[in-house]
Amino acid sequence: QDRAISGKVTDRSTGQGLPGVTIIVKGQPTIGTSTNADGAYTLSVPSVATTLVYSFVGYATQEAPITGANTISIALATDTKQLNEVVVTALGVERSRNSLAYSATQVDGSDITVARNPNPINGLSGKVAGLAITQSNTLGGSSNVIIRGTKSISGNNQALFVVDGVPISNANTNSTAQQTGSSGYDYGNAAADINPDDIATTTVLKGAAATALYGERAANGVILITTKKGRKSGVGVTVNSGVTFGRIDKSTFIKYQKQYGAGYGQYFNDYNGGSVAPTQDDASYGNAFDPSQLVYQWGAFTPGSPTFGQATPWVAAENDPSTFFKTGVSTLNSIVVDGGNETGTFKLGYVNDIQRGVLPNSNITKNTINFAGSLNLTPKLTVSTTVNYTRLAGLGRYGTGYGSENLMTNFRQWWETNVDIKEQKEAYERYNTNATWNLYSPETGDFSAAFWNNPYFVRYQNYENDSRYRTFGNVMANYKVFKGFDIVGRVTADSYDEMQEERSAVGSTTASYNPYYSRYNHTYREFNYDLFGNFSRDFNEYFSLRGVIGTNLRRVYNSSIFAQTNGGLVVPGLYSLSNSSSPINTPTESETNVGVDGVFVSATFGFRERVFLDLTARRDKATTLPTGNNSYIYPSVALGYVFSEDLHDKAPWLSYGKIRGNYAQVGAGALPLSVNNVYGKPAIFNSQTLFSVASTRNNPDLKPEKTRSAEFGLETAFLDSRVGLDATVYQQNSIDQIIPIAQSAASGVLNRYVNSGNVRNRGVELAAFVVPVKTQNFNWRLGANWARNENVVISLPVDNILLASYQGGVTSNATPGQAFGSLRGSDYVYLNGQRVVGANGYYLTTDANQIIGNPNPRWRGGVTNTISYKTISLSFLIDVRSGGSVFSLDRYYGLATGLQPETAGLNDLGNPSRNSIANGGGIIVDGVLADGTPNTKRVSNSSYGLYGYLRNPASTFVYDASYVKLREVSLTFGLPKAVLAKVSFLKTADFSIIGRNLWIIHKNLPDADPEDVASSGNFGQGYQGGAYPATRTLGANLRFGF
Amino acid sequence: CVDSLKDYNVDPKRAAEGAVPGVTLVSSAELGLTRLVESTNVNLNPFRLFLQYWTETLYNDESNYNLKTRSIDRYFWERLYIGRGSTDPTVAPGVLRNLSEAKSLITADQFLDPKIKANQIACVEVLSIYAWTVLVDTYGNVPYNQSLDYNNPQPQYDDAATIYTNLFARINAAIAQMDASATGLGKADLVYGGDMSSWIKFANTLKLRMAITTADADAARAKTQSEAAASKVFTSNSDNATLAFQADLPNTNPLWEDLVNSGRHDFVGTSFFVDNLNTLKDPRLGIYFKPVAGTTATYKGGVNGALNTASLFSNPGTALEDPTLPGVLASYSEVEFLLSEAAARGFAVGGTAASHYTNAISASIEQWGGSTTDAAAYLTQPTVAYATAAGDYKQKIGTQAWIALYNQPIQAWAEWRRLDYPKLTAPADALSPIPVRLTYPSVEQNLNNTNYTAAAAAIGGDKVDTKIFWDKF
Repeated sequence: QDRAISGKVTDRSTGQGLPGVTIIVKGQPTIGTSTNADGAYTLSVPSVATTLVYSFVGYATQEAPITGANTISIALATDTKQLNEVVVTALGVERSRNSLAYSATQVDGSDITVARNPNPINGLSGKVAGLAITQSNTLGGSSNVIIRGTKSISGNNQALFVVDGVPISNANTNSTAQQTGSSGYDYGNAAADINPDDIATTTVLKGAAATALYGERAANGVILITTKKGRKSGVGVTVNSGVTFGRIDKSTFIKYQKQYGAGYGQYFNDYNGGSVAPTQDDASYGNAFDPSQLVYQWGAFTPGSPTFGQATPWVAAENDPSTFFKTGVSTLNSIVVDGGNETGTFKLGYVNDIQRGVLPNSNITKNTINFAGSLNLTPKLTVSTTVNYTRLAGLGRYGTGYGSENLMTNFRQWWETNVDIKEQKEAYERYNTNATWNLYSPETGDFSAAFWNNPYFVRYQNYENDSRYRTFGNVMANYKVFKGFDIVGRVTADSYDEMQEERSAVGSTTASYNPYYSRYNHTYREFNYDLFGNFSRDFNEYFSLRGVIGTNLRRVYNSSIFAQTNGGLVVPGLYSLSNSSSPINTPTESETNVGVDGVFVSATFGFRERVFLDLTARRDKATTLPTGNNSYIYPSVALGYVFSEDLHDKAPWLSYGKIRGNYAQVGAGALPLSVNNVYGKPAIFNSQTLFSVASTRNNPDLKPEKTRSAEFGLETAFLDSRVGLDATVYQQNSIDQIIPIAQSAASGVLNRYVNSGNVRNRGVELAAFVVPVKTQNFNWRLGANWARNENVVISLPVDNILLASYQGGVTSNATPGQAFGSLRGSDYVYLNGQRVVGANGYYLTTDANQIIGNPNPRWRGGVTNTISYKTISLSFLIDVRSGGSVFSLDRYYGLATGLQPETAGLNDLGNPSRNSIANGGGIIVDGVLADGTPNTKRVSNSSYGLYGYLRNPASTFVYDASYVKLREVSLTFGLPKAVLAKVSFLKTADFSIIGRNLWIIHKNLPDADPEDVASSGNFGQGYQGGAYPATRTLGANLRFGF
Repeated sequence: CVDSLKDYNVDPKRAAEGAVPGVTLVSSAELGLTRLVESTNVNLNPFRLFLQYWTETLYNDESNYNLKTRSIDRYFWERLYIGRGSTDPTVAPGVLRNLSEAKSLITADQFLDPKIKANQIACVEVLSIYAWTVLVDTYGNVPYNQSLDYNNPQPQYDDAATIYTNLFARINAAIAQMDASATGLGKADLVYGGDMSSWIKFANTLKLRMAITTADADAARAKTQSEAAASKVFTSNSDNATLAFQADLPNTNPLWEDLVNSGRHDFVGTSFFVDNLNTLKDPRLGIYFKPVAGTTATYKGGVNGALNTASLFSNPGTALEDPTLPGVLASYSEVEFLLSEAAARGFAVGGTAASHYTNAISASIEQWGGSTTDAAAYLTQPTVAYATAAGDYKQKIGTQAWIALYNQPIQAWAEWRRLDYPKLTAPADALSPIPVRLTYPSVEQNLNNTNYTAAAAAIGGDKVDTKIFWDKF
């Protein structure tokens, strides 16, 4: 006996009737109806029916038991995004978020490009819990991308980028010297070649269970990028045009004292019956400024200078080095044409990206063309391809580290406060010569550059240039064998050739090296051949099975050659190897090949669409390991339960709930050529060939590193998904590390590769959102993420591994019980918590083996806030790093050479501390003598050293690296639909005002940006020398869609 | 498939272990060793500053014995054991590990004439013993018996005196094994071009040096060994063990690299040294130093350890600014000073303390381009002549050896520590007394702590003023 049941279906959040909701009798899908325009329905149901099922796109499906009542009204909750959202997972397999039993954070392309960052990697900063991105302040510099902490002591820790199945390394080609703070250039990482406007979605796969299908290269987490595909119908054109202006953030640049000028001590030299400033002394501990005193300064010896031959007043420079920086104007223009129909789609894009730095003569030009197309050849066979071609040209990248090509070492460490930047500019521009302030000994007629060049000469004559031509992409065929089973064949390639040319012009200081020209050519090829089958079947309403089985062959070829002139250049301005003063040394060649063969299988068992069990296994065989010991299996298991499916009635406030747990083991292979030993090759000596034993010993018994990872997580959303929380705890142990262990040099090697050690990372990741307002016109969404990773070296075969040594007597170390990269150096000697001062009045210092810092932050977090009203939206991102330390070489030297105001203050007597002690100057350093009595010995501050490295341990210059940054701001005005409707060809149009790094809200490191460390990679973390100021960027972007 | 890609693990661009002639590694060791003893690099060789030949101008850390900031003790140690860097052709190679590898390659060479093989191995031995004496004389106890074995990352330190005893046995064995009728290392020998009669003299010179160096610790052995060696040592400057540096980088004399090529002006003579040379009217003064800028013959030294303006004082001389200036491992002048001291100690080495002293000074003056007349005139001065010069033999020889060994700073430091003349005073701001040893590298505390701690205790503390076992006074 049928009976009629009627009712009304409403939206739970608005209370409005919902039209078009499908209602069926459970178990009898043929009996059903849908709601009318008001949300009302009537359905005739058989007497055996027990339950009605209500479903509607965008809302959570809900069931209602049929009781005696004839009216059943129900309020549907909007579906949480999580429920049916498709997430791209390993190997590009799309899965519903429901079925994922591991942490995978998806970021929309529009969220990455919101602030028009030309580097898509940096556009992810602060947006994903557990993804730590450390940006460089150099133009086009590398970004350190670490997911869930540093795992490998000596291997690569950079996340793997995979673009449409094409694996792209984030490694940089910077020299070890550059990475450990010596002179060099930061050439950036290759992953920055990805066009940000081409990104559809990015998925950050953090744990090993999520990445296990990548096997040998999965340990560091994977950032999966899916690019935009052509639309399915019609043709569209999108145009973006933007311009930004960058200026330095003065809170991240040094401030100078203005009372004392050039000199390591307070003296002038005699010249021509008058006084000449000690132009050689690259320090500001000289005589006090006195406008009435006339002194011969550098300009007096620089031909053509308006002060040539004249003594000029001894005063502080009007224009200090902060005026050296200019406004960097950058433009980013792109156009994308896409279209398609039933049988195929295509997309063609072009980007022109010109970045100009805040230093004179610096720019990076990137032109990208990309194409994506797919064609349904038959109903069963689809072929597709994506191709990206990038041409990158860099000119005048900023010199980094310690050296005359990095003007920051000059400005922050070794400077004379009487030198006027504007006068240096005029002096350079007069004849384009090295009219430096740092003359060796003008009083004796030696006008050569002592240690430093004219800063404009450095920028315009000693510049580098580089280029990279890169093609990456794939061709792919997908054949549907039968419903639920298809086979994918794919070939991917990443290929680039790059050249880097560096030069130091004739006339430059030769304090560190002769004028030179060098070139570095590097070729990289990676090919992946994938063949896999996708299986998917719902057996009945309870059980489902999805599976992947496949194989991956990877071949990587890497080769480079480096050559450099020797002994100087003959013809000024001619930069070629043949212009070498002395015969050039043999160029340095390298070639490595890597092959990895993998087979993999994965299966996901589903039960009632709410319980999912994932099993995966991959076996890799790698050439980097010794034959016979080169094959390894990486398994994973994951289990998830969407418990909210079973709590609809009991807890209607719970929009979504899932718990998940997983365990996996993944690997990391050895670096190529770590198995056999070779000799080093010193230069040929007087026609004799020399060989030399290498200082690093390889190992024929290596096996891959392993990372074992366990993770547990909870995903929830409440109150119609107005509030949500995603929490994850994890632990990862990276064992059998392949480490070139430093051993006593007396053993005849400095380092030897072994498999050993255990590094543990464990942490908590939280991501939460709240939507305080949600109406048709007005939306406000707040998102926050927070992650804490605790990194500790659990065990090593030795007491300590020295990772890197830096200038300043500071080293980076791995020590059991300490975090990776802990900084060591000398420290104060303490007595009952007070610093001990020696009889000479200066602090006692320990040896250089004390732990003085940990570069790993306590936690990182980000807050995003988006408010939109009709077509106007405002969003901003606050990026926070708390804790961790950074050693500042800039202050180590800068305080010694008397640049900062604190070196020229008043002492306890109220007198200028730089007065001689006899004249009431000097300082009593704060501390106690060895017997515990207060120090009363007054020490001189009238020549260099007291505040800097000379008289203080390295720990003095270790600072807290926390920051709170207003990272991104964007204000977008869209043309209202009503207006658009009148312009038939225009589909969308909006105008944005954007800002990046506008404000460092909080930091503890004086005069510098705590984020700007030596380099990306394992070296240089927590170490800053010659740091660049942060750049505040403000700009505008126009976007049209046709 | 991967198993067919075996050559992926073979470096296509570098020579595989075992695949090169052993003598090519001896060349490397000779170059590395000579560069080390010759250098004035502030990261490597501070001994000219210890001896107050020179002081620094603006950056006077090392002049004040700040040796840790630049890890000098570490780089000096590493260069002798292994060296750094394997791929950069401009990085100087190390010494002992290259020699041990060379020895095993030469030994394994089945096609080498046995006489030549014996000679080559003997040369390797002499160079090794040279390096070991520098290590022991610098640090005291060092890893020796367990050293140079990469399978033992934490070698034990051995007693310095015991090492010396073993080195005497080794040098005597090496000398016995040398055969002047056959060639040695051939053209790979950057010091003597394979001439074994020169090597026999060099080996005996080294033996004499070892005997006298340890004379205060073991007088009996010093007597027998020096007497045995005395007739076979260098007899003229043409015997000197030198390596002829080349005109082009990186095979230039490291002094030229730091004094000239760098464009820097980091060093000036100290007032103590320059005043001494002025007082003695030393003919080497104008060779050792340049006149003060703007003068033709005014020589003036800076204040040791203080801030000095390079243009106001005498800079190192033009002779040291020649990229091809040979580096000296051992000199005839040094030999005659050693024989003079042996005679003064009553050892029967032939000649008298005075005659050897005179020869030593003449040899030094001539080595630097002076004439016999210059030398004779110098030696007639009562302040110089052995009979009338001030003090006992230690003061006479110590003072003149100090002047003569100007460009053998490591050996000069050893002589000064044993003879305790001239009397030097540390700068006012010095961090320590004048070092009489280098501290062990800080990294040894990290990498080899147990053995380091034991060694530090055994020698009486890992300090710069702990004396080496033979430094009794």
